[in-house]
Amino acid sequence: MEKTIVKKSVVAEAEQIQLAIQMINLGARLQLLETQTNLSRERLIKLYKELKGVSPPKGMLPFSTDWFLTWQPNIHSSIFLNIYNYLVKNAQVKDITAIIKAYSLYLQQIGHDSEAEPVLSMTRAWTLVRFVDSKMLKMHACSCCSGKFVVNAYDLNQNYHCNLCHIPSRAGKTKKSKELAYKLVSVVA
Amino acid sequence: MSENEMMSEIKDANLNYLMLAQQMIRADKATAIFRLGISTDIADLLEGLSNLQILKLSSSNMMLARFRFEDGAILSMLTDYTKDRALANSHTAILLSGQEA
Repeated sequence: MEKTIVKKSVVAEAEQIQLAIQMINLGARLQLLETQTNLSRERLIKLYKELKGVSPPKGMLPFSTDWFLTWQPNIHSSIFLNIYNYLVKNAQVKDITAIIKAYSLYLQQIGHDSEAEPVLSMTRAWTLVRFVDSKMLKMHACSCCSGKFVVNAYDLNQNYHCNLCHIPSRAGKTKKSKELAYKLVSVVA
Repeated sequence: MSENEMMSEIKDANLNYLMLAQQMIRADKATAIFRLGISTDIADLLEGLSNLQILKLSSSNMMLARFRFEDGAILSMLTDYTKDRALANSHTAILLSGQEA
């Protein structure tokens, strides 16, 4: 068996823990923490419990590219990916640092308050970057406003109109928004 | 507003802009580069400016910061959002962050 010659550095470990804390606070799932830090699973679970007060959620991560193409998620993922690309290109940050910074900026852009769940979660943002890296999703410019949006890499995207230039008729009319409208009406009545 | 007042307002705006930009860069460079829409070179330069240099630079009668939308059609589209302000903000964010530094 090959022995690792790398000495365990306390400073490096502290940095890893800092990174994990940052990601947990942004809502990252355990799988993401495991891939991005070299801390053991047990320590990460402990850290998670300490910060959130509950055990980390179990189960697989969302793995479908379709989610990123539906109306509201598409707008939010496009905001995030544009920020991420800008940072990677212009600010000389990369990998998980860029994702963390871009995600915090995304939260600020959408005016996120800490109570409601943001549309795009930290884990989904990370998945999105991986999908783009593996060329399953890509950015395409809208032929109307020239803004870049997330599209399926295998779709035909000639003459593409983005979700904001051509808002689908049923866009945003979810069960949730309906319930909210009912509540408002009943409050007024 | 008289011509003189206008020019001193411009100087004020320049000074405000430079001081804010410098603070932002010193606090978090990557984030500031995104928010200001500038390149790393410019960010490095602004970060290292002394107070005297900032004062000198800002005392021009012309605006130092440039408007970030150059396409009139897109700008009018963004300002014409009547229904949903959140959507307008999202669209603006996508278009601005898609631009070159």
